[in-house]
Parts: sequence; C-alpha cells; structure tokens
Amino acid sequence: MPRAKGRSALLALAGYALAALLGARAHLTAAPLTRPIASYQISCRLDTEKKIVEGTELLTWTNTTAKPAPTLQFHLYLNAFRNTLSTFWRESGGEHRGNRLPESWGSIELTRMTLADGSDLLPALSYVSPDDGNPYDRTVAEVQLPRAVAHGETVSISIDFRSRLPRVSARTGWKGDFFLVGQWFPKIAVLQEKGWNCHQFHASSEFFADFGNYDVSIDVPARYRGKVGATGVRVEERNLPGDRVLDRFRQESVHDFAWTADPDYIVVDDVFREPGVADTQIRLLLQPEHSSQQGRYLQATKTALSGYGRVLGPYPYDTLTVVDPPWGAGGAGGMEYPTFITGGTHRMAPASVQSPEGVTIHEFGHQYFYGLLASNEFEEPWLDEGFNEYMEDRVVGAAYGSSHPVLTAFGFRFPIGIAIHRPLDTNRRYFGVATEDVLASPAWKFRTRTAYGAHVYSKTALVMATLERLLGTPTMNRALRLYADRWRFRHPTTADWIAAVHDATGRDYRWFFDRTFFSSGSVDYAVEEAKSEKVSLPKGLFESDGRLVEQPPRELAAAKGWQSVVTVARRGEVAMPVDIVLKFEGGHVYRSAWDGEARWKRFRVDRGPRLLEAIVDPNETILLDVDRTNNGRLVQPDPRAASRWTARAVFWMQNLIDSLTIAW
Amino acid sequence: MVRGHVSAAGCFARGVKVSLSRPYLAASLWLIQLLLASVLVLPVSNALHTLLDHSSSGSRMVADPDFGWWETVRRVHPDLLGTFPDAVVNATSIEGVKSSALAELQGVGATAISLCLLGIVLHAFALGGIFGALREPQGSLVVFGREGMRRFPAFLAFTLAAMAAAVAAYRWIYLVTGEAWHDRLNDLDTEGQAIALTAVRLLVLLVALAAIKLVADSVRAIWVARPDLPAVSRFFAGLAAAFSRPARLFGVLLLYLLSGAALYILWIVFDPSAGGEARFALVPLILAQQVFVFLRSLLKVGYYAGVSEALTRVPSPEYSYVPAPAVDTPSIDRASDEVPVERPAGAI
Repeated sequence: MPRAKGRSALLALAGYALAALLGARAHLTAAPLTRPIASYQISCRLDTEKKIVEGTELLTWTNTTAKPAPTLQFHLYLNAFRNTLSTFWRESGGEHRGNRLPESWGSIELTRMTLADGSDLLPALSYVSPDDGNPYDRTVAEVQLPRAVAHGETVSISIDFRSRLPRVSARTGWKGDFFLVGQWFPKIAVLQEKGWNCHQFHASSEFFADFGNYDVSIDVPARYRGKVGATGVRVEERNLPGDRVLDRFRQESVHDFAWTADPDYIVVDDVFREPGVADTQIRLLLQPEHSSQQGRYLQATKTALSGYGRVLGPYPYDTLTVVDPPWGAGGAGGMEYPTFITGGTHRMAPASVQSPEGVTIHEFGHQYFYGLLASNEFEEPWLDEGFNEYMEDRVVGAAYGSSHPVLTAFGFRFPIGIAIHRPLDTNRRYFGVATEDVLASPAWKFRTRTAYGAHVYSKTALVMATLERLLGTPTMNRALRLYADRWRFRHPTTADWIAAVHDATGRDYRWFFDRTFFSSGSVDYAVEEAKSEKVSLPKGLFESDGRLVEQPPRELAAAKGWQSVVTVARRGEVAMPVDIVLKFEGGHVYRSAWDGEARWKRFRVDRGPRLLEAIVDPNETILLDVDRTNNGRLVQPDPRAASRWTARAVFWMQNLIDSLTIAW
Repeated sequence: MVRGHVSAAGCFARGVKVSLSRPYLAASLWLIQLLLASVLVLPVSNALHTLLDHSSSGSRMVADPDFGWWETVRRVHPDLLGTFPDAVVNATSIEGVKSSALAELQGVGATAISLCLLGIVLHAFALGGIFGALREPQGSLVVFGREGMRRFPAFLAFTLAAMAAAVAAYRWIYLVTGEAWHDRLNDLDTEGQAIALTAVRLLVLLVALAAIKLVADSVRAIWVARPDLPAVSRFFAGLAAAFSRPARLFGVLLLYLLSGAALYILWIVFDPSAGGEARFALVPLILAQQVFVFLRSLLKVGYYAGVSEALTRVPSPEYSYVPAPAVDTPSIDRASDEVPVERPAGAI
C-alpha cells in the first residue's frame, strides 16, 4: 500500500520537524537503531476517577515476511483482568507473585478500527485462543483484512480504545492516585514466516513484540504536572484546558511503551557517565516514604548501567526511568519496559538485604535481554529471565557481595545473619524441583508456577554460571558480547545463543545444552568411599630361590605407607566433566579430571601417604549439583561441627520451651 | 501487712531475691527444660554426626551456619525434619493446624509435637512446685516435688485454659484482624501507616496475652495461698486478685520480660556459639549456654515470686481474710498434711 507508506513517511518527517522545533535532544534526529516494523502514535487521556485510559492509536505496520498477511492479530493484554474466566486468572488461581489478586477488573475495548482508506475493521474482529482454546479469553484478537498486506508493504490502522485499569496486580494498574499503565494499548503481534506468533496473556509469561518508534501524548490532571514518567524522552509538557496537562514522550527502536503517574513522586534527575560511553539521563520517581533510599536507588542504577554495559555493550538509549511504586502497589514493582523499570523497596530495608539494589539491577538487566535482544518470552522465557538472573548475580555479587535473608514475623522484617552467596544460594529453589520439567518449555507449559520460576530463572542462571566456570570468564564474556551484538533488535532463539558460544569458543557445546536446557535430569556427584589403611605385611606363599615360602620377599616386607581407596559416583542422570582432588598427609595433592560419564570411578593409591580427604568438583564448577554435601569426604571423622550444632540445637530448644511457657 | 506503697519494681526485686535465696527452684526448672530438650539430643546429634563428620562441608559448619548445607539437608533428608517448619508456619497462620499436617510429620518434627505436650504437663507441675515452695520458709527439692504433685490437676487445668485463651487471642486479635484488614492495609497511603496498624494489632495482642498470663498466675498464686476456701471461691478470688492490682502485676511482668530480653541481647552481642572454636571451645560453650538458661530460670522464678509478692503484700478489699501468724514448722514436717493447714499468703 504505497499510499500508507507515503503517509507514514510524512508523519515521520512531521514528527522529526516538530522535535527539532521543540529543541529535542540530538538523538531524535540521529539514525534509528533499527528498522521499525510496528510504530505507534498514541494520544490518550487518563480519567483518574474512573481509572480509565481512553486513547487513539495510529499503528504503522510493515509486513517483513515473504508471505502476504490476510489477517492481523493483536494483543489485548488488559482483558486478562476482565473476569475470572480469562486464561491468566485461571492459571494464576487469583494469585500473582505470592500475593492475592484484587477483585478489581480491567479490560480493553476497541471502539473503532479503520484502515487508512476508512475501511471499518471492527466487524471482522474476533477473539482467538491459540494456546488453550479458552473461549472466554479475550487477550488475542484477530482481524480479517479486506486485502492481504503484501510482503514489504506497510499499512496504517487507526484504533480507538478504552482501557479500564485494574487495582495494581500483575504489572499494571492503579492504587489511589498512583498509576502504572502497562500493556494498555492494542498491540500488534509478531508475524513470522510460519504465521502470527501471538500468545494469550498467561500467568507465567511476559511479552514478545516487534520494534518500532513510539510517539505518545498523555493527558492527565494538572496535579500530575512533572510527575509523569514513561518510556523514552519527554519532548513536551503543556497545559490543556480544564485544568489538565499533556506530556508527550518519544522513543525509537523499542517494542513497548509504559508510563506512570503519581502526584506524590519525588523526581530525581541524575546522569550516568562512564568514559567511552554516551551519557544516560536517569530519572528516579521516588516515593516520599523512601526518600532516604534515593542514593541507593541511583547507585544501583549506575552499577547496573556499568556492569551490564561492560559485558553486553553500552546501553544505547539516552534515558532510563526508574519507578519506585508506593505501598500497596507491590504488583507494579519489579517490572521492565523499554527504558523504563520499576523497582521496589520497604521502609525498613537494611543494606544487607540488598533491596532496592537487587531488584533495580535485575530490572535494568532486562533492558538487554528483553529490551534489545527481545527474545520470545512466551516460548523461550529463559533467554530473558534466566540470562538476566545470571547477569544480575554477577553484577550484584561483584558490587555488593553476599546478601542476607529476612525473617518476617508479625509484619516486621528482620535480617538474619546468614550469608546468601550468589549465584548458588540465590538459585537454590531449582534443586527442589530439578527433575520436574524440561527447562526448554513454553512459559505456560511448566507443571507448576513454582517449577516455572525455578527452571526459567534459577536453573538457567546456574547453567550459565556453570558454563562460565567451564569456559572461563573472559571466554564467557566474549560469547555474551557476540550474542548481544549479533542479535540486537533481532529476536534471537536458544539456537542462536548456542551458535554464539560455538563461535566464541571454537568448540561445540551442544552436548552441554542438551544436558541442561533440553533435559530434566539432575546432576549429583558424590564421594561414596574414601579410606586409607596402613600397608600390611603380605601373607601367603612367596617365591624365594625357586621355592615357595611363607616369608614375603624383603622388598614387600619392608613396604610402608598407606593404601587408599576412593570411589566417586555419579548419582544424577546428567553427566558433566568434574575434577577430583585427593588430599594426602604432608600436603600432597592428587588431581584428576573425570569426564563423569560412567556411573562411578575408583582411585587406588598403594604405599602412598595417608589419605585425608577426597573431593569431587572442589572448585564448585558444576553449580547444578543438587547435593553438594556429599561432594567431599574426610577419611577420619571430624565431630566438631556436629557437636557444636547439637549443643546449639539443645540450647535453643531449652530457650524455646522457656519462651513458650512464658505465655501461659 | 500494709507497708506503704509497694511498687512493681519492688515486688520484682524481692521476687528475684527470693529466687536467689532458693536456687534449687531455678535449678529444677533448668533441669526440666534440659531433660525436655534432651529428648531431641540423640536424634539431632546422630543425624548431625552422620551428615557432617565425614563431610568436607563439616569444616565450614564449625564456625558459622552454612545456608547451602541447611537447604540441602532439609531437601535431601525429609525424614529428619519432615514438614515441621511448614506445619509451624501453617499453625501460626489463619489456616491453623490441620490434622493432615500432623499425619505428615516425621523425625524431629514429630518428636517436637510430643515434646510440646510433655512440656505443658511438666510446666503445670513445675508451677505447682514453685508456687508451693515459695510459701515455705525453708524449701527444698522435696517440697518442690510434693507441692508440684499436689497442685498438678488444678494447675494443669489452669495451664490448658490459659493456653486455649492465648491461642484464641492470637487467632482472633491478630490473625483474623489481619485477614479482615488485608485489603485496607494495602489501601493505606504509606507503609509507615501499615506498620503502625500492625504494631497496634500486635500491641493489643501482647496486652491480651499479658492479661491472660497474669490472670492465670494470680489464680495459681491464690489457689496456693487460700487453701481454706472452696475450689470455686479460690478460683474467683484469684481472678479478683488479678483485677485488683493490674498495674502492679503488669509492671512485674514487664520487668521480667525486659530483663529476659536484656539477657538475650547480651547473648546475641557476645554470642559464644559464633566464630567457631577460636572463640569458645565446645565445653566452655555448653557451660555458657547452660549458665544462660539457668539465669533465665532464676528470673522466671523471680517473676513468680514477684507475682506472689504483688498479690499478697497489701491485702485487697476483696481479699479480706486475716492473715494467720507464721508457723515456724519445717515444711518437711507438713508433707503428710492431708487437711488444708497452709498458712495464708500474707505470711510469705
């Protein structure tokens, strides 16, 4: 449709001209980071009383596949909150991230949908449920076009919509005057050669979309002046009649747009500067209650920009907005949108707990895996969440060290003096469900949501950290950088990551991924036997001068030392190469590498020094090992730890009995 | 025996003094708690030695807890603790205790349930012994045992009733309000307001628990002090006594709790069990632990003596009997008394 193409070009030109007039930043006139496929111009108005956003959207979409597209498919995510019959609600069981979902309903209605020539598309709209056939789910809509969109053709579609926001639940909604507006507009799905890749909104999945340019005008009451944050750069703020204000944001080369408004925000602007890297403007929208944590938020943001940037390449956008949700809006926290993240903290948040640091760094990390690489989070969620979990462990661990867990009692949070090491301890939830699922499964097809989290986040992080230990950190960094550079804006798949590892190392690591990403087997190596006995005088008949005598030859009789036996076993289904270390008296150490394929391997040392200890995987390379308590065995028992912990157990039991009886 | 103003601090101080003068009472409490805890010694000790003695992880565990080891043991050896931690969490939640949870308990967790029941029984016995022995000018372990057994049925009933009341208070004051206000709590403007509201709920709960405890302890004290009254009268006299001096009794309880908390703070600051052998070897560590428990027992006996003191120092109007003169008969001689010849409480 040349006409549509021409209109799109005109709109783009007009936009750039306006930006120049407004003195917008230089980046707006620079070349886009990627070719836009789905671009949006949206004007919307927020009704703070009714919690409704009414908007008009001009979608400009290009068919980049080789086939014509007779239909269009749209995500209508907010319909996940329409009623308890939606797939999201059914799968979540009314809970999200351990919190009860409020019975506050959300929806998105399309009131007009026309092509550039005025053709009305609404009569041809229907709802489909490609994942589960749920007839009540309204999160995917399909529109029959009067004429198929040809390969390379661009169409413009005007849509009027009304979005009713729920009370903050899963990543979107309102609480009082606070609004986090995400997944709020009709969003076209991704067309691939095999057809539309469009999944329903599930309880355990996030998103997938094509890149484009966004130009969004948001009309809010005047009390929100200066308190609106969004994806991209604010290019305009002006008064509107009726005591309202309009904020306009633009961002190129992103695949989603979210915004927030809260009259209570403390707005803090800062700049991230690092030699050789373009500056990034940081805007922190902070709750007054958390004003004392302003420095921690900003420091964490800069740590993330630096830490991720050094491995995956510089953050390419000019801005980053960090949102601190208010009390009671926890469902809005810990979420990522392009150039826009939400953190979350508590009033009592000691530094040792690493909150808001951990969540801020984690959500920023999504700017790479979700934002720039933009893998399909429905079908391969580990490529975002898992890879990011791994990188978060690296960045947070390097900057902040170990964290400490919190004991929550009677609504109060108390840090406990136990060190939680990254990445092993932070991902232990995987071990409890290690064999329940294959990691490489679509997000909604895990047995339970616990298994989803344990595999997608934790197992992936442990797989990646294990790979790093096998390859070495410099090689791992090369692989990550190659992957990030090669696939930026191109929606990579797991195969692309495996190829990047191959290219970075010059070796084929498919065996490793077959046993981790594509297997539900567990890894468990154990030292099953470690003993050392003094060499005893041999008994029996021995040759001496051609005769058999009962006296052993002198060299055998004089033999001294210890005879040691060590048996290492593979108890798990999955084999990995492991090192084995035998420690002997006098500081002698014997090291051996085992491919780990057989069920067991035995080491026998005759007439050697006395064996003290045998350890399999002494450097904790294979982090997927579900039971590390059996990885090392002492020949001579050391009762100290058990005795001390028995004493502790008895002592605290006495105190518990004493304390309990106080009450009555 | 009116001697002017009697403060809570005075009562508690005198109670502690009495406790120090009769250390066998605290020793008895200490011994009971040790014996109760000892039920778990063998299973815990054996399991730990099996898991740690030959393990390379053991060396890391000598000094400090290792999160990974603990997580692995819970997961790999469900027979050790079973679902006990989950059962505790459920029991303290609005869900409450479910019979199915009890059926799933194994190992130490299952033993802990029996231990709790045994603890309740021994607690009732010990309180009878303490309150009875406190009335004797020259007490002994024999008196403690005799008095404990004499009061046992009634004191067990009081203990069970107080327990039921405490559990009901926890459920109805804390849990149910938390459930009912869950959404309102989230609707508050700030977390500070939510914390304040939670603190109020907690405070009300603590006051209710304190009231339950003080009523129970008053009933116990008067039960022992007024053997001349019929059982029902003794019970109501105990209730009345609690309500006649609530501030003083509450003050004694508060001082007891504060002094106990101070001991815990000292323990946590100087924690002899942390840092491994470099700080405390095993034997000094065990000694330090037991001295700590003994000190807590001394305070506990001091508290009960303080309650007796608070209730009996100034006879209340409702408590209008005339104290009989003290009889200097050794308690051992009265061991065979079957008729109530105890002296009234005012003679303590």
